[in-house]
Amino acid sequence: MRHSLNEIEAMSKRAARGAGLSWGLSEEAAKGTRWLSAFGFPGAGLLADLLEMNDRIPSIDVSPVSLSAEIWHAPTRRMSPLIAGASLSDSAVRLLDRGTIVMENVSIPLLAVPFMGGAALRLGVPVAAEWDGARLATDGRQLCVQASPEALNADHVAKLVFSAPADMEGRREPLLRADVPDNDWDRLSAFAHRTFAPATEESRLRGAGSGLSDND
Amino acid sequence: MTEVSRRAPQVVMRLARLGSMHQSRLSFMRVLTRRMARENWRFEKTAFEINDNGVGHAVYTAHGPERSYSLIAFAHDLPPEKRSDRVIADAWDATYTLFDGVPTGSDIERLSANIPVQEAGRVTNTELSVSRSNRSVRLWEHVVDALAKGDQPSVEKIDAVGYLMRTTAVYGSGKLGAADREMIADRPEFRAPFQVEMLSVYLTRWFVLDLVQHMADVRARENGSKAVALDVDIARSMGIGNSTGLGMAPFLLNHPVLFNNWIAARENAVQVVRGVQSATAEDIALFRDVFERNKKIAETWVSEHPIQIEKLAALREDVEKVDGYLADADLNAASPWNTLYEWAEEHLSLEGQEWVASLILEPYGALVDEFAEGMAADNTATFRIAGAMKIGDLRALLREIYGWAIETDWTAPASKARAWYVSEEKLEPRLGERFEEPIEEYEQPLAPGRDAAQLYQALAHWSEDAQVADFLLRHPEHRHVLRRVQIVGRAPYAEIRDNTISDHVLPIDMLRCKLSFFGATKFDPRSDRWVRICMYGNAPLPHELSNENADYWVFPQLEKATA
Repeated sequence: MRHSLNEIEAMSKRAARGAGLSWGLSEEAAKGTRWLSAFGFPGAGLLADLLEMNDRIPSIDVSPVSLSAEIWHAPTRRMSPLIAGASLSDSAVRLLDRGTIVMENVSIPLLAVPFMGGAALRLGVPVAAEWDGARLATDGRQLCVQASPEALNADHVAKLVFSAPADMEGRREPLLRADVPDNDWDRLSAFAHRTFAPATEESRLRGAGSGLSDND
Repeated sequence: MTEVSRRAPQVVMRLARLGSMHQSRLSFMRVLTRRMARENWRFEKTAFEINDNGVGHAVYTAHGPERSYSLIAFAHDLPPEKRSDRVIADAWDATYTLFDGVPTGSDIERLSANIPVQEAGRVTNTELSVSRSNRSVRLWEHVVDALAKGDQPSVEKIDAVGYLMRTTAVYGSGKLGAADREMIADRPEFRAPFQVEMLSVYLTRWFVLDLVQHMADVRARENGSKAVALDVDIARSMGIGNSTGLGMAPFLLNHPVLFNNWIAARENAVQVVRGVQSATAEDIALFRDVFERNKKIAETWVSEHPIQIEKLAALREDVEKVDGYLADADLNAASPWNTLYEWAEEHLSLEGQEWVASLILEPYGALVDEFAEGMAADNTATFRIAGAMKIGDLRALLREIYGWAIETDWTAPASKARAWYVSEEKLEPRLGERFEEPIEEYEQPLAPGRDAAQLYQALAHWSEDAQVADFLLRHPEHRHVLRRVQIVGRAPYAEIRDNTISDHVLPIDMLRCKLSFFGATKFDPRSDRWVRICMYGNAPLPHELSNENADYWVFPQLEKATA
C-alpha cells in the first residue's frame, strides 16, 4: 500500500519502541526508515527484519564497545545498524578527523546508511559507506548508489566502512511517497501494538474525555 | 531610546501563562484571510448534491493565484446515540477532505468510500486534509425550525453557542495517506503553519451555512410553505466550533522547534511593539477601537467550567482596569505600549497580561506581520545530536533550562502522579493515574522535566571533558531527552518550563495555547482535558472577503453588539 512518509516514520517509531529500543533510538530508527523509504528502498521491511532479529535484547549487547577503538565492534559480534549508525552520527566530527570509521560484523548495513546523511549535513561534506558489493554516498540531500541488489539486502556484513569527505556520482533525489508491502507494514504493526495500553472502561471515561454528552 | 528585551523563556513558557494566551495578528486564521484577500482569491460552489434527508456531497473551490483547492464535503444522517466528539467515534454529521486542485467525478467517487469512515479509510497525495464535524444539536434545530417557519433565528441563542457545527478532528500532514507537509511546504500559501487546516475550516463554515439553509428549505416544503433565507449578518456572526481533546497537548511537546518558532514570533512582535518610541494618532485610534471591540469578546464569552469561570472573572476585572488606565493614559507620551505592558504586568492577572500583549500588536501589521513567515519549522537540522558536546556544557545547559526540574523532588508521588499513554482504541492519547492504573509501561516521553532531572543525575559522575557521544553509547535511555536539551539550547521557547505529569497539571493549558495560535476565541473547557472553541466567528463570508475586512473581523462590530 502507498504510504506517506509521515506514516512510515510514525509507525517505525512505535515499532522500534515496541521492540524494546529506547525512545531516543526509536526516533533515530524512524527517521532512518523514512529516509530510506524516500529513496525507494524497502526501509519498513528492513526495519522489521532487524526488530525481529534483536527483539527485546539489551541494546548494550549490540552496541559498539568503544567509539575510540580502531575498529568498532559489538561484544556479540552482530552490531545493530541503528545503534552503530546513531553513534556514527554522534561522532561526525571524529569521522572527519579520522577520515574513516570502520565497523565489524554489522547487521543489515543499509539501515546504517541514513545516519551518514545526518553526519554529512553536520559536516557540510559528503559521506560514503562501503561494504562488500555496495558503495553509497550522500551529502544529506541526494544519494549516490553503486551496488548489487544482493548487497543492498545483505542481512550481515563482515566490514562496513564510512568515510568523509566522499565523491558523489550519479545522484538520486528523494521521493515523497513510498510503497510498503502489506506484510512489512503488518510486521511493524505487531511491534507497535505493544506500545498501546489496552482500553478499559475507566480509561475510556477518565483518560481523555469530558464525561458530558455531545448531543447538546 | 528604550531598550526593551524579549520576554524570557522562564517567564513565557509556564503552563499557567501558556494557558492564558489569546489570538493575535499572527494567528493562523488571520494570516490566511489576509493572504486570500491580498491575492484576490476567488471562491465557487461547484456541487451541492444533498437530498431531503441531508445526505450527499458538495464541493467548494478556492482559487488562488497559482493553484486551486477544493473542500469536498459529505453530509450524513447521524443517529444521536452515535454523536460523540471523541476521537473514538466512528460516525459524524459531516466529513471532509481538502483536495489539491479540482476533483473529477472519479475522485469524488473514490473519496466517498473513504472520507465518511475517516480513520478507517485511506486517502492519497492529492488530499491535503481529512476532517469531520458534528452539529450543535440545539442550535441546528433552532435555526432550521426558525427559517422553515419564515423567521430569523434568535441572535441570543446563536451568540450563546457561536456555531452550527464543530469539527472534532482536522488531520493534515500525511495522516491516513494524505500528502506530507514537505510536499506542499514550499507553496507560499502554505508557508505559515496550519494553513491547509485553516482553509479547510473556512470552507467548511460556508458549506455548513448552505446545509442548514437546505434543511430549512426541505422542512418548509414538507409543511407546504417556503423558508426565509438566513440573514447575512447572522450568518457571518457564526463560526465553526472545534472540540479538542488531549491529542493536541502532546503536539506541543512533540514539535519543540515548531512550538519555539510560534512563541518566538509572538515574542519578537511584542518586543518590537513595546520598543515603539511614539504612536501616531492613527495607531492610537486603531488601538482604542480594537480595545473597545475586544471588550465584547470578554463580555460574551461563556463557560460553565469552574476553572474558566474563575479566569473569566479575572479577565473581566482586568479589562475594567485597562479601561480605567486608558481613560487617564497619555498614549502620545514616549514608549506608550511598553508603559502599558509594564503596568499590565504589575496589575493584571495572566489572562489580562496576555490579552494586552496580543492587543498592542494590532496597529502594527507593518512591523509584526512578517514574523508569521518564520513560524514554520524544518526539523532536519535540529534532530541530529551534537555528539562532540562536552558533558560540562551539557550540565550547564541542564541547570539553565531545567533548574526547576532538578530541584523538584521526583520521589514524591504528587510530582509524577500522572502518565501520558496511547490507548489501543484509535490510538487516542490519554492521561492516566500512574499509581492507580496499569499504564506506566506504556508511558510516552512527555515529561521532559522529570527526564531532564534523571539525565542530570546520570551525568553526576562523568567528567566535564567527556563527550556526549560516549555517554549516549552507555545510556541510550537518555537519548530522547538529551536531544531535547540540545534543541532547547538553540531554541529557548521550545520547552514548557513546568511539570507535565504532576497531580495538578491541566492539559487544557496546552490545548488553549495551541488553539490561541490558530486564532480561536471563547475557550470553553468541558473538563481539565477537553475544550471547545469557536473559529472564524464574524469572519467575512468568502464572497465578501476584501482587504478592508480581512484582518479585524475577529473583533465584533460595536453597533451590532449593542443592537
